[in-house]
Amino acid sequence: MIQITDLKKSFRTEEVETLALNGVNLKVEEGEFVAIMGPSGCGKSTLLNIIGMLDNPTEGSYNFAGHEVGGLKESQRTQLRKGNLGFVFQSFNLIDELTVFENVELPLIYLKMNKAERKEKVMKVLERMKIAHREKHFPQQLSGGQQQRVAIARAVVTNPKLILADEPTGNLDSKNGIEVMNLLTELNQEGTTIVMVTHSDRDSHYAHRVINLFDGQIVTESQNKPMKAMV
Amino acid sequence: MFKNHLNIAWRTIKKDKLFTFIKIGGFAVGIAACLLIALFIRNEVSYDQHYAKKDQIYRVVMQGVLQGEVLKSTHFQLPFAEAVQSDFPEIIKAGKVNNIEIFGAGKHGIRVNGKQENTFEENFVLADQEAFDILEINLKQGNPETALIEPKSLVISKSKAEKYFPNGNALEQTIFLDNDTSKPYTITGVMEDIPENSHLNFDFMLPVEDNYGSWTNQNYFTYVLVNPNTNIQELEQKMSLIVEKYIIPAQIKRGRSADFIDVLRTIEYKLQPITDIYLKSDIKMQDGLKHGDIKFIWLFAAIAAFVLLLAMINFINLSTAKSANRAKEVGLRKTIGAFRNNLVNQFLTESVVFSIISFVLGIALAWVLLPTFNEIASKNMELPWSTWWFLPALLIAALLIGVLAGLYPAFYLSAFRPVNVLKGTLSVGSKSGRLRSGLVIFQFTTSVILIIGTLIIYRQMDYIISKELGYNKERVVVLEGTNILGNKIESFKEQLSSLSQVKNVTSTNYLPVDGGSRNGNTFMVEGQDDGGRGIPAQIWRVDYDYIKTLGIQMTKGRDFSKEFAYDSINSIVINTKMASDLGLKDPIGKKIDNGGQTFEVIGVIENFHFKSLKEDISALSLVIGKDVGAVSVKLEKGNPSEALSSIEKVWNRNIPNQALNYTFLEQEFAQMHDDVQRMGKIFNSFALFALLVACLGLFALSAFMVEQRRKEISIRRVLGAPFKNIYQLLTLDFLKLIVISICIAIPIGWYFMNRWLEGFAYHITIGWEIFATAALIALGIAILTISYQSIGAAFLQPTKGLRTE
Ligand SMILES: Nc1ncnc2c1ncn2[C@@H]1O[C@H](COP(=O)(O)OP(=O)(O)O)[C@@H](O)[C@H]1O
Ligand SMILES: [Mg+2]
Repeated sequence: MIQITDLKKSFRTEEVETLALNGVNLKVEEGEFVAIMGPSGCGKSTLLNIIGMLDNPTEGSYNFAGHEVGGLKESQRTQLRKGNLGFVFQSFNLIDELTVFENVELPLIYLKMNKAERKEKVMKVLERMKIAHREKHFPQQLSGGQQQRVAIARAVVTNPKLILADEPTGNLDSKNGIEVMNLLTELNQEGTTIVMVTHSDRDSHYAHRVINLFDGQIVTESQNKPMKAMV
Repeated sequence: MFKNHLNIAWRTIKKDKLFTFIKIGGFAVGIAACLLIALFIRNEVSYDQHYAKKDQIYRVVMQGVLQGEVLKSTHFQLPFAEAVQSDFPEIIKAGKVNNIEIFGAGKHGIRVNGKQENTFEENFVLADQEAFDILEINLKQGNPETALIEPKSLVISKSKAEKYFPNGNALEQTIFLDNDTSKPYTITGVMEDIPENSHLNFDFMLPVEDNYGSWTNQNYFTYVLVNPNTNIQELEQKMSLIVEKYIIPAQIKRGRSADFIDVLRTIEYKLQPITDIYLKSDIKMQDGLKHGDIKFIWLFAAIAAFVLLLAMINFINLSTAKSANRAKEVGLRKTIGAFRNNLVNQFLTESVVFSIISFVLGIALAWVLLPTFNEIASKNMELPWSTWWFLPALLIAALLIGVLAGLYPAFYLSAFRPVNVLKGTLSVGSKSGRLRSGLVIFQFTTSVILIIGTLIIYRQMDYIISKELGYNKERVVVLEGTNILGNKIESFKEQLSSLSQVKNVTSTNYLPVDGGSRNGNTFMVEGQDDGGRGIPAQIWRVDYDYIKTLGIQMTKGRDFSKEFAYDSINSIVINTKMASDLGLKDPIGKKIDNGGQTFEVIGVIENFHFKSLKEDISALSLVIGKDVGAVSVKLEKGNPSEALSSIEKVWNRNIPNQALNYTFLEQEFAQMHDDVQRMGKIFNSFALFALLVACLGLFALSAFMVEQRRKEISIRRVLGAPFKNIYQLLTLDFLKLIVISICIAIPIGWYFMNRWLEGFAYHITIGWEIFATAALIALGIAILTISYQSIGAAFLQPTKGLRTE
């Protein structure tokens, strides 16, 4: 599903040029659960953003489900992303001005789905995330674990093929963290491909495969025996 | 510490050049506008402030009620000044000044004895010795005590003296006016030039020599010098005694009816401080002087205040808009031990630095724009660098405004809680949403009102210029300084008429523009004197070609004609207004009376506009008479410069020693409305300033909003929001505010502009299309400004907005 070859990414500011990714090769099959690990600043988020088509590589090729992404225009990337990708962030990134329901509904609006269908889908996913009773609340009124569950709900409401998660448990205590990881594992078992950046060894054990990044390069890759979802 | 603050301020400037530019630039524009307006106001209110005894000098104004209408006048009887001086001990001195052309004021050709050439000069007044003293005329040469005592004296300004007598020997020289060698004038004094900011401006002073002046006709301004601490109201009341004591007996002696005498009894006298004359005179007074308008002073002061306010609002908005950038700095500083007041100080320092830079730029901008502004305002203003207070005042203003504008951002920024900032859970500025909306509405309401004002002023000007005036001002050349021709006028006219490019020629200074002669007379229908109700009307002395040359429409009867010998003796042509004032349904053949002389009405002409369109057309009559003050030439269609060179040849043949001096009637007409035009232009330029500042403000606010919603926009982009969606999201919010502003601005603009238009007897009516245009302009500008930001935000790389964690 994902085929990355010799990918480079550099950031240019007025004074300095940072080479965040320096020749990354990566292949992710459909249905896989991949964890990316490494010290802070090694380029994990950068890689994830490129995979998520939020950012363009400077050099190299990135093929997503048979489409070369590198040369695509902004609007074409948006088109390709729509419905195919879901994002989960460390800091949740919910819109404070919108309710839980409205936050989750947003991607469906952009997919031009009609209202009744939207409502049905949103309620279904909220129930699944055990957050339906809070649908009228605003993000600020929820705990961190609840907010992240809403964020995951929003990521999966479109039934994406791929979920990208950047340190999804980074702002959570261990109980809430485990809950989130269980949800991701469940989704993976239902067939969704997951690429997740993490700092935590515990979280990495949920993945099939762990990729270690250092200074913009992949240094090691290890296979895991997939863990069962804990209940 | 302070140095550290300056350092940070400087780096902030460097980091964000566009914003810094707008922040400082907008502020500088506001300051420049304020400075220019302040200069203008300072100049306008400086009129007549130079008299040492300005608190004791007054001009007398008379008002009375005639047929229910209040009449005001500044012209008084010849003996009036002397009478008030001797009858009222409070009045130390009373003097008279005459600026009416038939008395010898205004324009003359002047010739120095022994020289050949005549030069056309315009600024003559007549005055007596008392007026000379009261007006504090400062003589460089000559005896100030007696300068205007002798008949045929002449006091001349220093600059004119230097022009005619470069050797400085002007005193005692002989001068001829209009080449009349039978009346030699002797220069008895050289005076300091009258300051430009005087209500009464002149270069030549002649003594009053009036053998016909009496208590029954009014031709003189009267100025009085009163004792310090005089109760002016009391004095004004006492002055009414003049009516009973002098005026009524004189009019009774002339045989006026009891009704007429009753009208006289309504007369009251007012004393107008000399410093009020320029700005606070009623147009009804018709004193023939150039005036400012106190209403415009207030208006301009308000605009200046608004422009500065708008600029300050921008400053505040831009500072808070960029607060997210500063939030981290604040958080860190606090964590390492900064107190809130340290931070407040830091941000205030920053804003004062900005303010001082803005002031420097603003002053520079004002300095660059001043020549253009002077041209528009027809003034000679300068930045008062050399006055001791100018720079300190600006510095204090810069500090004050810097602190004022920085106060809100300083407290706002310094209030960030470090934990929130560092954890990234701070949502910037969400509580000040209402304040911000209020500020946009305020800025745009102001701007839309100014746009409406601008449009209406333009329309009214256009209306004035193109209005049907009842006469044809096109292709009429007015030759000035023809007094000198005397009896040779007829042959001069004939020579001009015979030119192929010339259609008609008329000789008279009674022209329907400023500077034309005017008078006041009273008419009655013959045999109705018992009713006593005379009506005021002008009598213009014209020739047989006047009506033809100016293209005035006859509605009844006939034009003057040489075929009727009596036309030159007692025929009169009146305008429609005069016919109706006199109550004549069928005026032709009726006899009317003016002070004992009887005329027969032979024709009625259309009411043509002979005054500014600010005033109604009043009663006017034409009689045949000799007046050689000016010759007007109606040209055939074609190239006017060819015609003018032919005219010049004729002129040089007839008046070899004086250069040809001409204007076009159309120009003169435009000049009559010069004040309106000038004020309009000034208004429009400042409206532009305000609009510019408001747009910068809008730019600032849309930046603020985008900044505030950056995270939200990014999330929406990540979730697949299309460009159009984000653009609308950002733009619609603002457009709502703009529409509200337009709705508020329209009634306010309508109200004020209606008030302004009421100052014109003839004016446009404000139609909806003006408001529609103003709304479209405002919306257009707003959309452009906002789009710059929204488009940028909609194209934003989503990762940029989410990197704050
Ligand atoms: N927008 C950017 N501009 C400049 N440098 C960036 C930007 N994004 C990331 N970097 C740099 O690229 C490197 C990798 O960053 P990132 O991928 O965020 O690391 P992490 O592994 O901690 O997620 C870092 O050195 C970071 O400073
Ligand atoms: Mg990261």
